[in-house]
Amino acid sequence: MSIPEQDRDDVLLRRAAKGDQESFTLLYRRHQAALYRFALRMTGNSWAAEEVVQDVFMTLMREPKKYDASRGPVGAYLFGIARNRVMKHLERLPRELSLEESNGNGARANESAVNRFTPVHWAEQQERSERVRAAVLDLPAEFREAVVLCELEELSYEEAAQLSGCPIGTIRSRLHRGRALLLAKLEILRDAPRRVSAAR
Amino acid sequence: MKCEEFEAIGLERSGLRMSELDVALRQSAAEHASRCASCAALQESWQEARIALQALRETTRDVETPQRVEMRLLHEFGMRHRTRKVRSAAIFAAWALATAALVFAGVSWWNWKLTQTHGNVSAGNVVKLNTSVPSVNPSSAEVDTSEEPTLIADNDAVDFTLLPGSLPQETDDSTIVRVGMERGALSALGLQVNEERVSDWIQVDLLVGQDGLPKAVRLLQ
Repeated sequence: MSIPEQDRDDVLLRRAAKGDQESFTLLYRRHQAALYRFALRMTGNSWAAEEVVQDVFMTLMREPKKYDASRGPVGAYLFGIARNRVMKHLERLPRELSLEESNGNGARANESAVNRFTPVHWAEQQERSERVRAAVLDLPAEFREAVVLCELEELSYEEAAQLSGCPIGTIRSRLHRGRALLLAKLEILRDAPRRVSAAR
Repeated sequence: MKCEEFEAIGLERSGLRMSELDVALRQSAAEHASRCASCAALQESWQEARIALQALRETTRDVETPQRVEMRLLHEFGMRHRTRKVRSAAIFAAWALATAALVFAGVSWWNWKLTQTHGNVSAGNVVKLNTSVPSVNPSSAEVDTSEEPTLIADNDAVDFTLLPGSLPQETDDSTIVRVGMERGALSALGLQVNEERVSDWIQVDLLVGQDGLPKAVRLLQ
């Protein structure tokens, strides 16, 4: 099913650039969640993720003409800005582990998943999640990006490569390496002997 | 299958999802894992990691940007575009004012220019038009025509000497126009001039009536 002409991202962006607040709001609501999720998974910090999303849309607001429709959809353009902001954040700030913080709506980020489990399961899952979360956040940025995009965002290699702006082969090798490092880190976290050759 | 192959397969083939391998490869991997304890442990850790990643994915699947971000952005959006509108209006108003000022200045200058031109032309015309006016100046007629003080003598309290044919009451609403001319030109106004000094350059005030004709003249000292 195709999106009606008037609801297409580029049309909305054009209208927003002319001062149509409704179009801007629609554009924001359409993309904010994916951008926030990516930023949160990459930074592990809800404040940083919030800042990234805000920066992305402020950029869009300030310089809407920078978007070039011939180079891809608006979503990919926004994602590219978000990715740059995330990378800058990772370079600039020391890493913080605050995924456990409550999010902006006052609800805990993992609350929805928690309710399905008994306290024992919940505790186990929390521990496991925390371990993986720490391991993911401990990965170097480029490997973390590949793991986040392919494992957490469940994108295909092609999509991940397009969003990261690198060839598919690069994404594949980064993912391979990222997985190996992740496993190695998980082994380390569990005090188990290191096993994965790629991580050595 | 060797341990290295087992690792490579596990990492390459969507890595942590061994179940996605094709049947033959999966059987081969399972056989290897049943014989090799460390690979079995590795497979187990893959499974755990897969579950953990899935759990992590689940916990952050439904997260959304806090509402305050949207509010901040919309506020900024409103400010930005309101400011732009105000700025446009201000620029427009400034241009309109500048144009109005320019038009006003132009019209003023044009009026001034017209006035100047009219005054000069009147003075010029007087000299020409009055050449045929009979030189009957009541005040100057009595004065000795051979003497230059003829004109100076009338430069008293009244200062102006009526030109021939002008009536005193015609000078009530007149305008004083200062012009430079040769002394000889005064004869065109009907005044007696010393012929020896006709080429002297003098300045005179002309009293120009509403009809544009000079009614009286005053020599400047």
